[in-house]
Amino acid sequence: MEPEVVSSEMLLSPIFSFKKVQMGDKYPKGQARGRHWKHLKQILQAENFQAYANGKPNYLNIEAPPSAYPSKKFCDITGFEAPYVDPRTTLRYANPEIFKRIRMLPNEYVQRYLSLRNAAVVLR
Amino acid sequence: MATMPQRQTDYRFFSPAIPIVIDNGGFNFRAGWAGESDPRITFRNLVHRPRHKATGEMVTIVGDHDPALLKYFDCTRSSFRSAFDSNVVYQFEIMEYVLDYAFERLGAEGSQVDHPILMTECVCNPLSSRSKMAELLFETYGVPSLAFGVDAAFGYKFNQQKGICSEDGLAICSGFTTSHIIPFVQGEPVLEACSRTNVGGYHVTYYLKQLLSLKYPYHISSITWEKAEELKLEHCYVSFDYAAELKLFQKGTKEAEEKTTFWQLPFIPPSQEEEPSEELARKAALKEKQGQRLRDIAALKKFTRISELESELHDLEDLVQQLEEVEEEEIYPFLSTTVYNSRQELESAVHRVTQSLRKARGEPLESEDKLDTSLSEKYSLINVPDSELTPEQLKEKKKQIFLKTTSEGRLRAKQKKFEEELLREKQNQQDEEKRLENPELYLEETRAKYRDLSERLEQRKRLKTNGSRSNGNNNSSGGIGRGERLNSAQKERMRLLTTAAFDRGKGEDTFGAKDEDWQLYKMMSKDYDDDDDSFEEDEAELGRLTTRLQEIDETFVAKSDMELLQGTLEIPWPRPLTVEDYKMTLGIERFRCPEILFQPNMIGVDQAGLDEMTGVSLRRLSTQYTEAKNSMCNSILVLGGSSIFPGLESRLEAGIRKIRPYLSPLKVVRSMDPVLDSWRGAASYAAAMEFPTQIFSIQDYYEKGESGLRQYQIKYSL
Repeated sequence: MEPEVVSSEMLLSPIFSFKKVQMGDKYPKGQARGRHWKHLKQILQAENFQAYANGKPNYLNIEAPPSAYPSKKFCDITGFEAPYVDPRTTLRYANPEIFKRIRMLPNEYVQRYLSLRNAAVVLR
Repeated sequence: MATMPQRQTDYRFFSPAIPIVIDNGGFNFRAGWAGESDPRITFRNLVHRPRHKATGEMVTIVGDHDPALLKYFDCTRSSFRSAFDSNVVYQFEIMEYVLDYAFERLGAEGSQVDHPILMTECVCNPLSSRSKMAELLFETYGVPSLAFGVDAAFGYKFNQQKGICSEDGLAICSGFTTSHIIPFVQGEPVLEACSRTNVGGYHVTYYLKQLLSLKYPYHISSITWEKAEELKLEHCYVSFDYAAELKLFQKGTKEAEEKTTFWQLPFIPPSQEEEPSEELARKAALKEKQGQRLRDIAALKKFTRISELESELHDLEDLVQQLEEVEEEEIYPFLSTTVYNSRQELESAVHRVTQSLRKARGEPLESEDKLDTSLSEKYSLINVPDSELTPEQLKEKKKQIFLKTTSEGRLRAKQKKFEEELLREKQNQQDEEKRLENPELYLEETRAKYRDLSERLEQRKRLKTNGSRSNGNNNSSGGIGRGERLNSAQKERMRLLTTAAFDRGKGEDTFGAKDEDWQLYKMMSKDYDDDDDSFEEDEAELGRLTTRLQEIDETFVAKSDMELLQGTLEIPWPRPLTVEDYKMTLGIERFRCPEILFQPNMIGVDQAGLDEMTGVSLRRLSTQYTEAKNSMCNSILVLGGSSIFPGLESRLEAGIRKIRPYLSPLKVVRSMDPVLDSWRGAASYAAAMEFPTQIFSIQDYYEKGESGLRQYQIKYSL
């Protein structure tokens, strides 16, 4: 181990005195650790909030509802207000010059612009 | 971003009664002692597990790192991982690494961490996350007791103590991945009326990064996450009226220009062509030498070939001489010793060799008059009428006619080519004259011609491929099949096919017997283009114009090159790159990115923005609190790391005013320190005397377990 790395103390030591169980024992080497942990979606499913305590606040109750106002449409390329939509690519645009540029875009860029708005075509 | 925290040395001076206060945030992890005014250690809540290059072992690095030291590690396989998914902790292995580091930095000694711990969590933390955290702390670290609280609530209480807000109020907390609205009544948060939107500082930074990368794809490698965060902190602001601000920039007013900032990337101009003259001279001399060498080799080859041909000619001439000396009867045996079978062959060989000799010497070829004499001999039978010839001779005659016509055709073709050459020469000369007398006009004309020609070619190409060149998604036009059918050429083909099929009728298919059928077939065929010839001509013309323009016009860029560059959204640069190209403009991005906090629809999150959420939250308050609403709106506190955008409070005030009744009291204030107030509030809470009544001890854990945690809820007003 290089001396400057050691002196900077940036590495985490594998053994600590104040721990009752060390990391190495808890997670033996060789096993894939990532899949042990449930992601948030799975946690929420497992919690099963409908089963108990109607009315008590829980993680899902608290979530804000969709907006009551119709959303304003903004141009995907420039950000100005966009009254028009390109039927081929479903990108929104503000004026004809931007439309010209949209038509010259390769497909990769079209999908990236759409993914900004969470509207890209996702093939799973 | 914090620098690496130092190892604290005064751990042992703190008695086991003093709690350790931890603010476990999605962005930064803060920890310190209760009762102090600032956290002792702060670092990014991330873990990185690279492989050490020299030894090959996996090491763990928590928090920020010094980029210089990372060169000893192979960081390709590993990425920064966070224990959080949205604002909930789910990865407890990473959490353990983080806590290890935190306690070690705090200077922990002894066999266990012997202090009560006050930890922050998100609003309505799912039970499994809370219980796993408790398990980690109790069982691995041996903590004697625990307390969980909401960070925004601590911040609010802290500000309430300082008098910035009152006991009835509203906390608007915008964090790293989420934003919350929490109403407070009589000092306690009303969790039933909380609301949360899944937009936070992370989304703002990500949006900025994507916008810049799409706008400047050339610099995509310089737009890193860290750089985007820096830009966000420095330049982003919240506009008071988004639509009006957009209009300002759309019109390009002076105000808009003042608000635009630029980011100049380091620019190194490409090495100049003006090298010192000695270099140039040396290079020129080298080139000259190489050219000379090549020329010498060519001359040598030519010389050897000429000498070879000459010797051959000499031999042949000798042979001819000998032939003439020899008598008639002895011709054949004499000739059989050589390669040639007859006198004529010999003579034609001589002729051939002289021709090639002449070519090698570079002299003009003489016309084929020598052939003419032999021609009349060869075609002797043509002029004789058919009746006088035997069948064999007739065959001979046919052969000779055929030969004659072909050679005549060849002659004619050669002549035509020659004439065309002359014509082209003349045209070129005319062009040159025109150019010399009026260079500008000539340039314009050629450019115009080039443009027209290329457009025509493009159009034709487009017709052929049905216009689907750049955009691959033909979804709206109903798929490939329908699109093809609409083309006029295709329509014509279909018409021909159907009429032909209809005309044929049942029975035998006699298509192909007549000549007209073959015409029809040609028209129907896909590969046949009736514009074929002119297409090729146009292409040849285009090629010629391109070369011409490339010679005389410096700013000319061939169409094919332009198409390659159209991958970027910018105009292709035939000129060399300048400083200007490395300057990135931050115009509307400055206020477009934080706008997503108010309009999450801009990034596709289908939820209400901050101002609308307050309305939702107030509505969720049950009717018993109606009178309190007015006083609540009088003390609205803004906290959280992602609320430091300038202009946020005035925007919020304007937004909330729209929802509240006319002229009802409304006051929006920012907390004293939006980032650190949560920790400070938690610290002062932990230092209070009644704190031990609010904890969840290890005995409770062993007795009640998870259900105890489920009911666990602290009281914030001590």
